[in-house]
Amino acid sequence: MTRTRSLAILLAAVAAAALLFWVVLHQVSGHWLDVALRPDVRQALERSMEDQKQLRKLDPQRREVYRRRFDETQTLLNRIEVLRMNREAMLRRFELALMVVFSLGALLAAVTLWMRYRREQARERAEYLQRVTSLQETARRHAHEIKGPLTAARLELERFTDLARRGAAEQELNAAHDSVGEELERLARFTREFSSFGGVGSPVLRRESLGQLVEEFCSTFANAWPSLRLDDTGGDAVVCVDRDLFRQVLVNLCTNSARAAGEDGRMTFSIVKNGAQVMLDARDNGSGIPPSLRARVFDPYVTTRRIGEGMGLGLSISRKVMLDHGGDLELLESSAAGTVFRITFGVNAC
Amino acid sequence: MTRAALAALLLFALSARAQQRPSFTMQGGVVSAALPSSVLQDASVQKQLGSGLTTTFLVVARENKRLSGVRLEVRYDLWDEVWLVKRVDFEGKIDRQRLASREALEKWWRTPVRLLSTAADRVLLQVDVSVLPFSAAEEEDARQWITKSGGVGTAAAGGGGIVDALIGTTISARPITSFRWNVDLSLR
Repeated sequence: MTRTRSLAILLAAVAAAALLFWVVLHQVSGHWLDVALRPDVRQALERSMEDQKQLRKLDPQRREVYRRRFDETQTLLNRIEVLRMNREAMLRRFELALMVVFSLGALLAAVTLWMRYRREQARERAEYLQRVTSLQETARRHAHEIKGPLTAARLELERFTDLARRGAAEQELNAAHDSVGEELERLARFTREFSSFGGVGSPVLRRESLGQLVEEFCSTFANAWPSLRLDDTGGDAVVCVDRDLFRQVLVNLCTNSARAAGEDGRMTFSIVKNGAQVMLDARDNGSGIPPSLRARVFDPYVTTRRIGEGMGLGLSISRKVMLDHGGDLELLESSAAGTVFRITFGVNAC
Repeated sequence: MTRAALAALLLFALSARAQQRPSFTMQGGVVSAALPSSVLQDASVQKQLGSGLTTTFLVVARENKRLSGVRLEVRYDLWDEVWLVKRVDFEGKIDRQRLASREALEKWWRTPVRLLSTAADRVLLQVDVSVLPFSAAEEEDARQWITKSGGVGTAAAGGGGIVDALIGTTISARPITSFRWNVDLSLR
């Protein structure tokens, strides 16, 4: 597709250059010469010379004046005559120069387009490779997420069967049964995580007080993450928001921060206004996102967690939610001192 | 096919006969040549002679590997209606004359011109006459004129100046016609 487009552009450029070349060649190049070489110009100059010759007879006292005018006219006539005799050679040279200029231009355009095509091709390959690598990683993660509980459940089931065959005590049988149930629950959790990614609903927007929402969140979830303290810096603004979905975004951000911040974590929410635009900055004091992941942090399955500890879908879901709000979720900054995410709300979205 | 070839040969022979040859003389080790009137009477030369420009006849004689040249310049002065002629022989001697009529011009034309010096008794000579439509001075004047003005602007006007210079340097006096004779001259 890229190649076809590049070729089309190249052909269009060549056609345009050829047309321009033709126009210049046939409509312009000889024109200025032909103006000077028009027969009537020559005839007028010859008549003028003849007139000067007649005048010298009528007014002999001014003979020198007429002579000078005659010589001037003849010099001009001679120059035009020299031009006329060289017309074809001059036009050929002019056309050759034009051809060289156009050829160089066309060559430059072709080289530029070719380089652009190669660059796009390289970029396309790199993107493809990145996609395949990402899918590989996803497949690996999926396999591991399923294999762990599946293997454990199978072993527990074998143990349960063995215990039952041997006529083990009810307590022992119940423990084995619960163990199988736990592993199956892990599988169910994994499936739920996917379901939540696939089933992010459209927001039902209502005008709400952002300050109040943040305050409620900090109060309700104060103990949700034991290592994370939630701070609200105050301030208020009215935004169009779906309470439940917005809360899910905040939960996702806090879950990530709680993992990154360690024992003494802190998440600070600040409302920022820029004209009609309302934003909420969520700043943590965690160890930051590795630079290599920053550009892809909102891509699904991108995570710093080990396999089995999460799928890396939280930020992806959160950004989707905020985009559905007519706003966005951006990574504002990230360093060893912490990370700031900015939630932007849509203006007049409801 | 054969007929066409024979006809072409016949035409060539007739034209060769019609074309007069120069008459050569050798005296005191100097070869002189009187150019034929047919050169002056050639249609393209006739037309050029009346243009007011200086028609230049370059006569180049080749003997073995030696080269010798003579220049004849003819200009019709449209003001005084006289012929201004100039002859530069192989030694660089210049002869200028002002001729009042066409007959005087023809007479001057037939005057032998010193072509080359030689110590040999026998000379195999190739003589070429190229007729240039204007003189070097007129060529230079026209070149300067177009380079400076180009008829459209000044030389300082960027790309226009380049184009004018490009075209100006193309101007040159290309022969409008030429003649060639091969002669075998001997003192004996």
